[in-house]
Amino acid sequence: MDLPAQVWVQAIVNGLALGWLYVLMALGLTLIMSIMGILQLAHGEVYMIGAYVTYYCCVSFGVNFYAAMFISMVVMAVFGIFMEKFLFRPVRTQILSPIVISLGLTLILMGSAVVGFGLYERSIPRLAQGSFVFLGSAVPKDRIIAVGFAVALLLLLYLFLKKSKYGQAMVASAQSREGALLRGINPNLMSSMAMAIGCALAAAAGTLAGSILMLSPSMGTFPLLKGLVIIVLGGMGSLLGATIGGIFLGVIDGVIPVAFGPAVASMAPLIIVIIILLVRPQGLFGHE
Amino acid sequence: MSRKLLINILSIIFLAAVIIALPITLGSVYWTSILVIMGINILLVSSLRTLKLVGHISLGHVGFSLIGAYGSALLLMKVGISFWIAIFLGGLMAAVIALALAYPFLRVKGIYFVLLTLLTAETFRLIARYWPSLTGGVWGLLRIPPPNPITIPVIGTITFDSVNNYYYLAAVIVSLSLFVLYRLERSRLGFKWRVIQDSEVLAQSVGINVMWHKALNFTIASFFAGIAGALFAHYQHALSPQPTARFGLLASVYLIVYMVVGGESKFAGPIIGTVFLTMVSELARGLEEYRPIMIGAIAILTMLFMPEGLIGLPKRVKLWYRKLLKPKRRVQCPT
Repeated sequence: MDLPAQVWVQAIVNGLALGWLYVLMALGLTLIMSIMGILQLAHGEVYMIGAYVTYYCCVSFGVNFYAAMFISMVVMAVFGIFMEKFLFRPVRTQILSPIVISLGLTLILMGSAVVGFGLYERSIPRLAQGSFVFLGSAVPKDRIIAVGFAVALLLLLYLFLKKSKYGQAMVASAQSREGALLRGINPNLMSSMAMAIGCALAAAAGTLAGSILMLSPSMGTFPLLKGLVIIVLGGMGSLLGATIGGIFLGVIDGVIPVAFGPAVASMAPLIIVIIILLVRPQGLFGHE
Repeated sequence: MSRKLLINILSIIFLAAVIIALPITLGSVYWTSILVIMGINILLVSSLRTLKLVGHISLGHVGFSLIGAYGSALLLMKVGISFWIAIFLGGLMAAVIALALAYPFLRVKGIYFVLLTLLTAETFRLIARYWPSLTGGVWGLLRIPPPNPITIPVIGTITFDSVNNYYYLAAVIVSLSLFVLYRLERSRLGFKWRVIQDSEVLAQSVGINVMWHKALNFTIASFFAGIAGALFAHYQHALSPQPTARFGLLASVYLIVYMVVGGESKFAGPIIGTVFLTMVSELARGLEEYRPIMIGAIAILTMLFMPEGLIGLPKRVKLWYRKLLKPKRRVQCPT
């Protein structure tokens, strides 16, 4: 491969920018999965709806982008609490039912988006125009702002989980539901909180992705898959694992299509996941 | 026993008569083509349920069906093998790939299996999308020939260009496959699968090789998914790797919904679920865009209020009926 160095830098930068958005998805998914024990497959649709909420706030009501993003996160968090209470809590102990319910939600939300928002692609107004020059390649400013947001949200989540009373209660609940119950932690409240935080993170990711890329009713599928791969890579319930897994996947996503072409690139995540599972079934940073 | 056998034989004859008579009574190519797709879906959903026998839920069944479809179509088009061997080889290819993936996939816990199969199906689809020299790339594989005509001494030559003839071919292949799946479930092997579903530790303790039996289950289910895919390929004459088409993520979602709405505890469940939901979505033809919403709502309502699916409906009705008629009846302890 004798491509100029700029191409590689560009590929890595692009990959990293999207990788950070996938990290937000993966964090929400892993939070929900470890505290509620369910696979939330409608998370991609939460991401999509979150992006549309921001879009309508920005474009139809003329709200400032940052305020719109905050509104979208709050709206999706409330939506998440409702989902948890009425759909997932009644079937929490089973395996098949939550999966089917999340799949049904996927169909409903995606179908509603097609009906309500239309199939054509839109775009949230750009965060910033122009680009920096870094190592001889152009880095768009909006990507840097998006990554900054993602990092800030990750740090906030980390501080919340490590330093606050409720965050510690959530960690305890994820480690052992019964143990947490014995210490007087309400598991239903923890589930609601996990769902709310997860959905807010997905809405933020959707908004940021919508400002970099395009909005469409099917935009959620790809990030959902990426988020799931990151969870397998990093290990269930591990913040550090999800972060490093996301960055790793982002770089791979950026570099492999440039180096080997799209056919190999489409196989890479599966092959990497299989190798990880063979060597370390609990993921890179996971524990039993 | 003989009376039960008689009933069984009669019901099989009745079902066969219905299957033969359906395209004639419906009398339109449109409905016949719906029936063909429905038959293929029934085979897919039933083989998905075979996986459920060991307690696994797959979101990647369409991936293996894609292998069968492209495999069979390419063998016919590029190598020139007869359809009758190609369809079998298509299924076999899916089975071999499943067997190869079984070891890493089955080592992990249930929820990871869902996730891995999802990833696998998407990977297969993307490979089909980005390998244009073999699979036609983004435009898909076009002009797949229909099955080779067969010559039967007395009747003469039968071709499969028309939808009507293809319907009967699909009916025969799907029925045979369902019969095999049914017999497998009732065999010693199926019994072992159920033991594994109930408790892996118990299964191991009585000397069942859990890993091997799970791998075998995965392989068999994928084989029939491959057969279903091949049937689809030669019927549709074109395959597309688009995410909204036959092999996208949503297709897997529909398969799971078909299975649980029918009820996954009994063999007839997937068949009932597929027929029911196909009818629902055909009745809602005018509301094209609202179809996924309806199907999703049916799935959620089924899970919340009738988790055993349509197959459990008679029992449920009986219970309600009893409650209505004899509300104050006390349960007596057997002495």
